[in-house]
Amino acid sequence: MEDLLKVSNLNTEFKSDYGSKPALNNISFNIKEGEVLALVGESGSGKTVTSLSIMGLLPNNASVENGEIKLLSKKNKEINILNLSDEKHNEIRGNDISMVFQEPMTCLNPTMTVGEQILEVIIRHKKISKINAKKEMIGLLELVEIPDPIQRSIEYPHQLSGGMRQRIMIAIALACSPKLIIADEPTSALDVTIQAQLLELLKKLKNSIVTKTSILFITHDLGIVKELADRVIVMYQGKIVEEGNVLDVFENPKHSYTNNLIQSLPEFKIEKRKQNKIIKKETNNKNIILSIKNLYKEFPVDKGIFKQSSESVKAVQNVSLNVRQNKILGLVGESGSGKSTLGKTIIKLIEPTSGKINFKNQDISNFNRQKMQNIRQKIQMIFQDPFASLNPRKNILDTLMEPILVHKLMKKNEATEYIKQIIHDVGLPIESLIRFPHEFSGGQRQRIGIARALVLKPEFIIADEPVSALDVSIQAQVLNLLETIKETYNLTMIFISHDLSVIEYFCDEVAVMYLGHIVEMAPVNELFSNPKHSYTKALLSAVPKVKAKKTNKILIKGDIPSPINPPSGCVFRTRCPNPTHDCKEGNIQMGLIEVSPNHWVDQCCVNCH
Amino acid sequence: MNFFLKKLLIVIPTLYIAWTVVFVTLNIIPGDPVNLMLGGRPASDEVRENVRKNLGLDKPVLERYGSFLVNATKGDLGKSYLTRQPVTKMIKENMMPTIELSIGGLIFGVFFGVLFGIFAGTKPNSIRDTISMIIALCGISLPSFWIGMMLIYIFGTTLGWVPIVGDGFVSLILPSISVGLFFAGGMARLTRSSLVDVLNQDYIRTARSKGISKYNIILKHSLRNAMIPPVTLLGIQFGLLITGAVITEEVFARPGLGQLLLQAILAKDIPLVQALVVYMTAVYIFLNLVVDFTYGIIDPRIRLERKN
Ligand SMILES: Nc1ncnc2c1ncn2[C@@H]1O[C@H](COP(=O)(O)OP(=O)(O)OP(=O)(O)O)[C@@H](O)[C@H]1O
Ligand code: SF4
Ligand SMILES: [Mg+2]
Repeated sequence: MEDLLKVSNLNTEFKSDYGSKPALNNISFNIKEGEVLALVGESGSGKTVTSLSIMGLLPNNASVENGEIKLLSKKNKEINILNLSDEKHNEIRGNDISMVFQEPMTCLNPTMTVGEQILEVIIRHKKISKINAKKEMIGLLELVEIPDPIQRSIEYPHQLSGGMRQRIMIAIALACSPKLIIADEPTSALDVTIQAQLLELLKKLKNSIVTKTSILFITHDLGIVKELADRVIVMYQGKIVEEGNVLDVFENPKHSYTNNLIQSLPEFKIEKRKQNKIIKKETNNKNIILSIKNLYKEFPVDKGIFKQSSESVKAVQNVSLNVRQNKILGLVGESGSGKSTLGKTIIKLIEPTSGKINFKNQDISNFNRQKMQNIRQKIQMIFQDPFASLNPRKNILDTLMEPILVHKLMKKNEATEYIKQIIHDVGLPIESLIRFPHEFSGGQRQRIGIARALVLKPEFIIADEPVSALDVSIQAQVLNLLETIKETYNLTMIFISHDLSVIEYFCDEVAVMYLGHIVEMAPVNELFSNPKHSYTKALLSAVPKVKAKKTNKILIKGDIPSPINPPSGCVFRTRCPNPTHDCKEGNIQMGLIEVSPNHWVDQCCVNCH
Repeated sequence: MNFFLKKLLIVIPTLYIAWTVVFVTLNIIPGDPVNLMLGGRPASDEVRENVRKNLGLDKPVLERYGSFLVNATKGDLGKSYLTRQPVTKMIKENMMPTIELSIGGLIFGVFFGVLFGIFAGTKPNSIRDTISMIIALCGISLPSFWIGMMLIYIFGTTLGWVPIVGDGFVSLILPSISVGLFFAGGMARLTRSSLVDVLNQDYIRTARSKGISKYNIILKHSLRNAMIPPVTLLGIQFGLLITGAVITEEVFARPGLGQLLLQAILAKDIPLVQALVVYMTAVYIFLNLVVDFTYGIIDPRIRLERKN
């Protein structure tokens, strides 16, 4: 097959007051007609700069220094993109090459209807009448499987969910049947279930596109690469370090960086653990340190000064769970399922609406602020973005010292020694103490976040998506650290994540949340090998995996419903792939029952499947 | 529409508070209106009493306050102490020139403000940006009476391009500039910063990736989004527009509400001052409603929020 795009010796630089910094270092690659080429690499490796160089959309302070980008245009002419004037380039953008961006929330114009935004690109490049363009627009909406396309086309972006907006972006990209679509992390900001829907759509399009459209798919997720791509390019620090067929690269990585990347996938670490027969000990009836009974949290909906609100966001609904000494309980679920709210309610950063929270045999649900002070020392939280909660004007020593002094845990000189010990334990050099937050990388900041949680000698840690913002390799390091810390400091943990492989690798027990409810809870091996609830099954099958054999996916339809008016009966029934008659009618009552030791499932799914 | 009902409900207490403040201040300021009416001529106590009774000033303050509010809601704002004519009639007679001037100032301000804002904002940190912003700064910081006088001196007296007095469209040009310049400066600065912000948004990058021309990106994708802060400014600054008109009328010796207000204050003509302030607050509030309404047109997110 012919080469559609030829990139040779491309060098792109960023200029600043301090001189120039190369972002791309002599990269060369080709894309063939009709193929899906994946571009992987950690953040900052130059993936987006590559795509923007091709699109001619580099920011003002960046420029292509030398190299060639040759495109076979629709008229079968070879064009050197870099020599084009902005006007000529505009002829190609959206027509020969189009792009799908990462952020579905911000990349559509909020003041134009989505229909207009699709129409615009059709009218810009095709010489057809407005009526025909409208017909094409509706056709595109159908193609990307937007339900009720005529109605949706006159809606504004904020009226659509993230997944639907990304479908709109795909429709825009497809509008002029381009030769090449560049998709830059198009699913990274979405939930796995929505991601699975979109990947399915892309696969369908890939197989049906007659015009031999090629896709350059940028991602950090090797599972997606495996699922979607024909070939893969691995980038590292602005260079291409590996290129080849997807299967070859995964089986036989040539470059040590690629090998490392694959080895640090939780999926592979689980595999290795299984081979080495290190099976996680099943939970026995060790001391229960935290016990929650029938916990509810509802946020009243603010309707302004004139109306008393009667509606509420039902963020946590009838949650009961136990956490045993020295164990890690994982909380997993889609965005908005109530994981963070549950975590915050446990240490009463949010007041529960009702229910009991027992910590070490004390009911803390009615504790006032003063009494909570002592408890908060024992239960600490780690957040996804530690930077946001670090004071930028305080060095790390002061940041870590403050809580110790507030809680009067020890004297200042004693505390300094203690902090040095902790900083060493979280794997940072002692010099870090006199540095400021902005001087650290993402992974290092998370280590500081962990150190800050540790200084008060807690017994219990609630970690809310602590590794979600980190690259795979860094993620693995931080997880290792958390594991060691847990042992040395004798900790118990709740670990919140939307990433199922991380949960499987890291936790002892797992609770799956959906719309405020826990729908299934079990020891980790049991849950992953023998899921019972329809939601759990679908969630597990949605995760793209490098090792997985081609299995049929259980796709969840549509978007998560509003937590203000959750479906009656089983909350999952509106999206369930195989509801029974009773579920559909809403005749089901929710409530966990124990199907085998420590394996709890919502009752309906036990009875009907 | 629910939203506008709520807004209207807020209008009433606002007007009430504004009118009360006017009434109280005018009654606290020292100086007996009877003295002012008599123009300092000596008069017997009997005459003074008569005048007082005629004006209704013999009644207790609270009663006057009460009847003022009641009459005001009926649209009857009393008679001027000085001319003995109904104040509403006086206001009507003097209204047109001020409305003309305000609209003139508004058009000038918005047009040049937005123009300079776009000019500067589409190429931030360039020479044209710097120059535009210096001009805008001048517009904001130079006092409008001084600008008025300079305009008269340069274009009226020295160059003789435009008449300084008289009516008709041409004579409106200089006063409009002098009223609108301040406005234009603020609009330009805000339009610029808001445009710079919008041009860095992700959806602009999306539009560029579709091959939309630079011109259309600014016209179709940026301006509407960028106009939200300037429109807010518009709402806040209507008051300044009215103040500007008052001063400018004095400088250009134009008839209008400004002149009327000035005379009324100097003469302590309480009903007239009251009526003028009542009118102006009402107009101010009405214009703000119009601005609120405009938001909804500009930004569909706001429209949706209001529906719920
Ligand atoms: N302070 C608040 N006021 C009103 N509603 C809230 C508040 N905090 C959370 N919610 C709502 O409660 C529900 C649960 O939110 P929560 O943040 O706990 O979800 P999550 O599972 O942590 O999601 P994510 O994976 O995106 O972090 C959501 O519908 C959310 O919009
Ligand atoms: S109860 Fe019914 S609707 Fe709910 S998850 Fe189970 S099968 Fe699906
Ligand atoms: Mg969360």
